[in-house]
Amino acid sequence: MNRSLVILLGALALAAAVFAGSYFVSQRACVTTMTRSADDLSWLRDEFHLSDAEMARVRQLHEGYMPQCAKMCALIAAKETEVQTVLANGTNVTAEAQKKLTELGELRAQCQAQMIQHFVTVSQAMPPEQGRRYLAEMKKITLGSHEAIEQSMSDHTGHEHGSN
Amino acid sequence: MKENMNPDPGSTRGSAEASDTRFREVLRAARPSPSLPPRFQENVWRRIEEAEAPAKSGSWLDALAALVLRPRFAYATVAALVLAGVLLGTYQGAQTVKQTEQARYLAVVAPNSLR
Repeated sequence: MNRSLVILLGALALAAAVFAGSYFVSQRACVTTMTRSADDLSWLRDEFHLSDAEMARVRQLHEGYMPQCAKMCALIAAKETEVQTVLANGTNVTAEAQKKLTELGELRAQCQAQMIQHFVTVSQAMPPEQGRRYLAEMKKITLGSHEAIEQSMSDHTGHEHGSN
Repeated sequence: MKENMNPDPGSTRGSAEASDTRFREVLRAARPSPSLPPRFQENVWRRIEEAEAPAKSGSWLDALAALVLRPRFAYATVAALVLAGVLLGTYQGAQTVKQTEQARYLAVVAPNSLR
């Protein structure tokens, strides 16, 4: 093979190795360093540039919300088990199964309303602009996925929910 | 002094030159020069032109290889690559941490069953 070509290919391989090495080392170092000091609310502080005072208020709201959230999650989990049991016993959706499914849906809706109320309360503890951004982001994440699923289903089946 | 002893220096020089010419003729006759290959002159000129012509196809690889082997160029390239790698790695690392922190917050406040 041509000597110049060998030199160039070697230089290219060396350059790729140098770049990849420095990229991976710095990425890992960055992730390790930044993750070490992170807690559950780190994202709020970093993303919405909250001061210590704002952060303390948000933390207080968060800690107040967590027991309510855990209680609702336990109720939903228990109801899901009931639904599974009822559905496992028969081949049809019985009246009892229908009732359990309705109750599960109600519990989820109740939990979701409570969650959104928490987001509203937290957004009010932030500076107005950041609060609006936080609320929009949380609505998009928590409600947007349902819209996406419903949209994809209506696209596939050729009908739309809620339109007569 | 030998020169002073010679009565006619001019005639001595003349006979020496004649002897040289004869010697060259004898030498040439003893070692005949081989006949030139066909289109010898044309080939010589072609090679001279090729040597004087600016570098063309194929030689750009050589030029690039020579550039790569220059220490100053090599050090500068390595420094630029390390800098680019560190900057991109740090940026990507920060993005990864941000996504991880967001997922961590969401996992706490918004369970998957509600999303």
